[in-house]
Amino acid sequence: MPRADTLEMGELTDSAYYILLSLLEAKHGYSIMRSIEEMTSGTLSIGPASMYTTIKKLGKANLIKEIKTKDTQNKKTYVATESGISLLKKEIQRRRDMVRHAEEIFKTSKWSDAK
Amino acid sequence: MKTVKYVYNSGLAFSEKKDMQRFSQYAKEGWFLESFAYLGFGYKLRKGTSKELIYNLDYRKDADEEYFHFFEAAGWALVCSFGNEIHIFSAPVGTKPIYTDQPTLEEKYELEKNKMGKYALPFFISCCVFFLLYAVGSGTWLPLWASNILLVLGTITIIPLIFTGLPYLAHWKKLNKVRKS
Repeated sequence: MPRADTLEMGELTDSAYYILLSLLEAKHGYSIMRSIEEMTSGTLSIGPASMYTTIKKLGKANLIKEIKTKDTQNKKTYVATESGISLLKKEIQRRRDMVRHAEEIFKTSKWSDAK
Repeated sequence: MKTVKYVYNSGLAFSEKKDMQRFSQYAKEGWFLESFAYLGFGYKLRKGTSKELIYNLDYRKDADEEYFHFFEAAGWALVCSFGNEIHIFSAPVGTKPIYTDQPTLEEKYELEKNKMGKYALPFFISCCVFFLLYAVGSGTWLPLWASNILLVLGTITIIPLIFTGLPYLAHWKKLNKVRKS
């Protein structure tokens, strides 16, 4: 049985999250890789196969789109669409909530750092 | 001195990881993978100077220019492709892997599993039908010549079934392993 697609569930995988984030401004594939590495100070780097798969998937879901540029090297350039941005915002809120829930629970537990 | 040699392919569906490690070992000994050979049943290696390389394989039907650009940019050089569907890349030791997250790695094996399943299904069904009819009809209502034909047809369909069904099971097993990890 195929697993439920996270995009269809309205959630983004970590790779999709960072790719979408780096595509607030139009970029081609290689710059996406570089900008994610810079953004995360090198803690996250997306391998080429994962990158290609995720970009195709985001494109298919209309969360990013290809734009025509006069790139002589024939590299495809992408940018986030409006629905991409709105899903990203929703995802940021979801992740923020997750962190908040954890912090609240930790604060009142014996594992709390605050003394 | 020999500069080319051929080695067998133990079936990528079953031994992808082992074969990639084998190529690394060969590269260390100065033998470099050059292409698939014998319709994919073997590999052609060429002699060179010893190097430490790692190898990775990806399945991608009708891979485009962009696909190969991504690999190149990440430090992975295309070694060879089979039917523009199976691609083997090499990179210096320490290069980051081509799959860096679980969902996309799962998809690699899931698509391959589904494809093999689609190929295997008609053979599986016809094989079952032939043998079932033979088992039920032989010696009762089926004339001897007809049950012989069924037996032959059933046996013939086993061959393509093995070549598609076993890879299907292998990919299924790998997919489960990735999911559990």
